[in-house]
Amino acid sequence: MKMRSKESWRSRCLSILGRMVPYLIVIGALSIVPVFVKSYYIIDLLILCNIYAVFLASWDLLTGYTGQISFGHSLFIGGGAYTAGLLNFYLHLSPLITIPIAGLVAAGFGLGLGIPALRLRGPYLALATFAASGILSVLTSVFWKYTGGEDGLYGISSLTDNIVAKYYLSLALLVICCGALLLIVKSRYGIGLLSIREDEIASMASGINTSKYKIVIFTVSGLFAGVAGAFYCHNQLHVGTEELSLSLSILVVLMSVAGGIGTIIGPIFGGYLLIFLNEWLRFVEDFRMLIYTGAVVMILLFLPRGILPTFILMVRYLIGTRISRSGD
Amino acid sequence: MKLLAEILVYGAVQSAVYALLALGFCLIFGAAGVVNLAHTAFYMVGAYLIYTFMDLLGLGLYLSLLISVIGVGVIGMIVQQFFIRPLMKSEMSVMMITLAIAYFVQELILSFYGPVDRNVRRFVEAKLTIFGMVDIDSQRMLTLAVAVVLIVLLWLFLNKTKAGKAILAVAQDREGAIFIGINPDRVFLQVIFISALLASIAGAFISPTLGARPHMWEHPLIRCFAVVILGGLGSLEGAILAAIIIGYSEVVVSFAVSSYLGELLAFIIILGVLIKMPSGLMGSKTGT
Repeated sequence: MKMRSKESWRSRCLSILGRMVPYLIVIGALSIVPVFVKSYYIIDLLILCNIYAVFLASWDLLTGYTGQISFGHSLFIGGGAYTAGLLNFYLHLSPLITIPIAGLVAAGFGLGLGIPALRLRGPYLALATFAASGILSVLTSVFWKYTGGEDGLYGISSLTDNIVAKYYLSLALLVICCGALLLIVKSRYGIGLLSIREDEIASMASGINTSKYKIVIFTVSGLFAGVAGAFYCHNQLHVGTEELSLSLSILVVLMSVAGGIGTIIGPIFGGYLLIFLNEWLRFVEDFRMLIYTGAVVMILLFLPRGILPTFILMVRYLIGTRISRSGD
Repeated sequence: MKLLAEILVYGAVQSAVYALLALGFCLIFGAAGVVNLAHTAFYMVGAYLIYTFMDLLGLGLYLSLLISVIGVGVIGMIVQQFFIRPLMKSEMSVMMITLAIAYFVQELILSFYGPVDRNVRRFVEAKLTIFGMVDIDSQRMLTLAVAVVLIVLLWLFLNKTKAGKAILAVAQDREGAIFIGINPDRVFLQVIFISALLASIAGAFISPTLGARPHMWEHPLIRCFAVVILGGLGSLEGAILAAIIIGYSEVVVSFAVSSYLGELLAFIIILGVLIKMPSGLMGSKTGT
């Protein structure tokens, strides 16, 4: 009896390790990139991808997993970015202090939006989140004396001057934040979130305090988006209205949907793919955005599950294993 | 006194344009449950088509109006048939695809016409003086008149004709409508045609005063949301009432303080109404 439980414990450990292998391979591959890639341009782009990955993954926790459609993720991103930017610009606090504070402020926004949002569902919630981010964006224009208005604030201090070191910092951000998000969704708690998305009334009936879950998820999503937003602000050395804009919220939504929502990994993949597609299309500069938006429309239409889940399903089909839960 | 009269006239014009836009948005949401974020893209295409036919190709006013308005209606039907219908099961997918389409249209226009504003020739020249003191160009008054006529026509169509009643029936109960022999897919096509038609007429008539710009769809979309939310999603009477409230309050705020506040007002109305009374002024469905 004792032997058996030890055996099962070992096999469980092995299976967890086995499941972690793909993640470890990806992290390993990402961490040796600077050894081979010497182009600062590509590294810069990868830093951007890593930051966007956190934006997308935190959005996916809220919308993909919990089904709370948010069209206003720039509220959290911009809230974090402006907090860090203002603290750094006026009080000259170091990024080490501004980034955690920015995360907390954005988490506060999440809490503040999450409570009234409990009453709303579907398109109504999407419009409310969108309006909330719009209010913050207009407020920065109204208080232009302090926020720099449309131009924003320049001269935010950098994280480090070494671009490779900055790359590793962004990778650390990606691994920590997305790792935490993955842990949340793979836990018991994550199953509760899925049940809210699939059938809120049924999950209430099975004893899940859906209100508490939703408020917590709004807060957590805001926290990670705010941290990444602050990181973005210190990376760009600038904070401006584009970080609060509707187009950023929409970019987050479109990239995540293209990658495959409700998987955390899918949106991250979508972010990398679309950012690189966007850069690669520069050789047709005049039609770049046209092709890009056209491609997004086609992905939404023909691959409604998203690219990564479809790809995984195809691979599973080809190697003949039984198709288990979609997008796992 | 002069200021008051100005506010009265400009507010009426503003409200009329918002009402035209919001009615189309409302109609397709009420009938099909589609939140069409590409709605104001139709408005923009209407403005650009009238510019192309009237100012670039030199066709007459009536002919170019006819072509562009019908053209946008057909574009709407294509969007519904090939892009919205396959995804209609999920509200979220519909929102995303229409948003992506709106951006695609914006990029299409940027690559064809460039980022510069285009001026559209006025349909009618002449200055009008109303109440003996408000100078307003006749183009705005024409827009107001056309909007009022169209709203009346829409009301008559929905309530007095068989096709209109079919639309209302589908909006009320889709399955019930199928039982009495109405094909909802066909009704959706009609609805999106009318909705795109209204948006393009608003765009075409407003373009001589505001010009045609590749980003002109963004602000009206926000106003459209505010109107529709305040009126109650899906309620046509509510949309008209809300358009008047928002049109006037925006003009008052812009006259009195600044145009930033006008925009802030729209956002605050959306958020406040959604949180405090999700069914709006006259909506029957609630947000919860």
